[in-house]
Amino acid sequence: MNEVWSSDDVEPQATLSRRRFLSLAAAGVAAGGAASMLGPVLWDQLSRAGAAMGGHPGVLGSTTGRTLVLVTLYGGNDGLNTVVPYKDPGYLSARGILAVDPSTVLDLGDGFGLHPAMPQFHKLWTDKHLAIVQGVGFANPNYSHFESMDIWQTAQPQDPSGTGWLGRWMDKTGADPLRAVAIGPTVPTLLSGAKVQAAAIAPGPIKLPGSAAEVALYRSLAATSDREPPLLVEAAHSNADLLEVNAVLGPVLDKSRANPLHLTGAEAPSTNGSAAALAIANGGGGASAANVLSTQLSVVANLLLADVPTEVFSVELGGFDTHTEQVTTQAVLLPQVDTAVGAFLDAISSTKRGRETVVLVYTEFGRRVSANASAGTDHGWANVVFAAGQPVKGGFYGEPPSLTNLSEGNQIYNLDFRRVYATVLDQVIGVDATSFLDGKFSTVGFI
Amino acid sequence: MSLDQTSAIAMLYRRIGFGATEQELSSAVTAGYSATVNSLLGGLGQPDPGGDSVAPPSFEPVGQLRTDTAARQAYIEALRTNSRELIVWWVARMIATTNPVQEKLTLLLHGHFPTAISKVHFAQFMYRQNQLFRTQGSGDFTELTQAVAVDPAMLIWLDASSDKAEDPNENFARELLERFTMGIGNYTESDVRAAAYCFTGWQLDLRTGGFSISAADHSNAPQTFLGYSGINSGTQVIDIATNSAASARYVPSALWSHVAYPVTPKQGVVSDLAPAYASDHSVTNLLRSIVTNPEFATETTFSGLIKQPIEYVVGALRALSVTAAEVQAKPAGVLEVLAELGQVPFDPPSVGGWGQNTYWLSTAAALARWQLARRLSEVGDISTVADAPPRSRVEAVGQLLSVTTWSSPTAKALSSAASNPENLVTLALVSPEFVSN
Repeated sequence: MNEVWSSDDVEPQATLSRRRFLSLAAAGVAAGGAASMLGPVLWDQLSRAGAAMGGHPGVLGSTTGRTLVLVTLYGGNDGLNTVVPYKDPGYLSARGILAVDPSTVLDLGDGFGLHPAMPQFHKLWTDKHLAIVQGVGFANPNYSHFESMDIWQTAQPQDPSGTGWLGRWMDKTGADPLRAVAIGPTVPTLLSGAKVQAAAIAPGPIKLPGSAAEVALYRSLAATSDREPPLLVEAAHSNADLLEVNAVLGPVLDKSRANPLHLTGAEAPSTNGSAAALAIANGGGGASAANVLSTQLSVVANLLLADVPTEVFSVELGGFDTHTEQVTTQAVLLPQVDTAVGAFLDAISSTKRGRETVVLVYTEFGRRVSANASAGTDHGWANVVFAAGQPVKGGFYGEPPSLTNLSEGNQIYNLDFRRVYATVLDQVIGVDATSFLDGKFSTVGFI
Repeated sequence: MSLDQTSAIAMLYRRIGFGATEQELSSAVTAGYSATVNSLLGGLGQPDPGGDSVAPPSFEPVGQLRTDTAARQAYIEALRTNSRELIVWWVARMIATTNPVQEKLTLLLHGHFPTAISKVHFAQFMYRQNQLFRTQGSGDFTELTQAVAVDPAMLIWLDASSDKAEDPNENFARELLERFTMGIGNYTESDVRAAAYCFTGWQLDLRTGGFSISAADHSNAPQTFLGYSGINSGTQVIDIATNSAASARYVPSALWSHVAYPVTPKQGVVSDLAPAYASDHSVTNLLRSIVTNPEFATETTFSGLIKQPIEYVVGALRALSVTAAEVQAKPAGVLEVLAELGQVPFDPPSVGGWGQNTYWLSTAAALARWQLARRLSEVGDISTVADAPPRSRVEAVGQLLSVTTWSSPTAKALSSAASNPENLVTLALVSPEFVSN
């Protein structure tokens, strides 16, 4: 047996072995009446799935033992003021009042510096655990938030209306909704397949309402047949998937609740309700003091410390659409990203699982080089992508796009975003990327 | 395949309202489909005594941010309280409404022109926009778009009010064309930039909510927009966009997608709707032509939508006779469940609004629905189910929830729960049939 997720270097109470997971999951099924179709995917099936995909048998089909954490920044973060070409004379003149003061940037070498609100990212850089991929994007952009984000999440620029790039991986590697987990009320397109949708969990414990008998009734309701229209089948699936999420993650979340890890800035989980509910309670009339990304990554950290059999996690932060008041907005949001990701990697570094985790940070597009008259920037093109974690080979990748040779005022991409995906599919998920990306894309080499 | 009349009418009530009571459904079936369409759509533009009985919150006046920390904090807290009260008010109103089509259209228009309190900050501006949808939403779509554009919530949300003549920001111009009026692929980047110049100088007086155009900040340079030259006003841009051939397909496809099943503007059924819509831009007439289209009362439509969380929560509360007052008495309950389901009114995630169908079918949402269903089966009125003999209870819960057909796996599960009315209602509320719209 391939002990890729051996947990011999982890505190025992924080760990559940894979075998323990199995028995917990099986117990959950038995307690609810043993409807076999609702049971968790069995380990030998998973190993077969891994072997069938050309890898050697591993946990849940993974051949690397690594975990991917996707951080999606909605709105189009301005990469030019995040990784600042501060020694380029064209930068100050093009950005004018929006330019980051060169004396404040955190130097990265090669004439670039990080936004001053990102000391944790700078430390990762110094430790050689941060890769910055420059000039990333796709051909023929149309500057729409929604189509651009759909393109990133489906990885199908020609028709971005279909399944997510990791949803297709889920479809192909078994019907297990726990293979990937989104933190929040809904599942992003990237984790939606044609047959399988990732599990979504709110921060806080999972409390199924009702007695064992009521759970058994719910389970019988979740059973379905192929005769029904697709949406009814999907609705029944989501009920069935909930039972599986509860069986596998419920005990872990309960356990971590007894001794929870809170990343800096995270909200304490409420006993009844989600962080989203709290955000609303705090919302309106001013930004919530809590860092919602830290809240989400706290959940991921707790699950990773318990060594759950999930290979991909998705978290997100919005608000990056800085048409106005860009300086103030980025000064609020970038520290949230910096603190959350820094504290997350720090918190999980005590375990082998954590040391094999890669965080990928991306957004739908870069922003216009020159400022508009509202002290903001409009939708642009090329951007930076961050990859962080111990498996990452720190440094710059790709070519920094020109500040003078622009297209409609926007920096021109030179590295297809699917090369970044090919890199993580190959090196983190451990599968043949061509099966999921409609073509062959060379890897970038940051892992 | 066409639906039987009972199923078609029950679906009509769900899609353009929040579901029918057993009484409403049986009277409507007697009256027939056409008469029911007429009677429901007849509410548009008419008073809503039920909805009006729920008083809106009293709003903290705008413009009192103080430098003194304690006063500032107290003010921010008051604004947050206003936001929460506003959200609960609307849910309560949707429960109490006696003009459900008008209220449902208001909700659909909020999804079409999404703005969020998290950026607008002032609940009275969100309320004002909400009233605009309610009072003008069933009229002329061009006039509605013009009104929405100069209304405070949209001016703040898409940054119009900080626009200057040289180097305008493109936020409103792009979303106007892409999301509100025409759809992607029907304009060029230079159309976006030309439109942005036309919206320069649009500004908002925060204290009064008044709109004006600053002559100093407005670009008078003539622009070419969608082939029309010499354009320099935002009003002209909106008129040209909403009168375009692309808009004549885009707007009907958007409404069809939220009432029947998701379509693109290119799909065939839109061709049925576009000519009449192009001739009058009437939202009421468009809604009528949608629900009377032969494609509407079919199996495809019947299984074509999942309830949005707001539709789910309001539909369930109404069916179980939970009152607006009860909802307002425990505001945290409804706020929490909507947040857990991922749809808080007045707080869409972006200008793209909310997703549809499988977007709402996450495991997190399944848990939140189940928790809500169980609470409701305890506190709601389920007497028609409880009073029925056990062998008739599956039918009774269908009548309670206006579900006309249970699939065989669901019917089987419900039958096994029939001995306990609360369990039965809980189960029916989380069934695929009730989760569907």
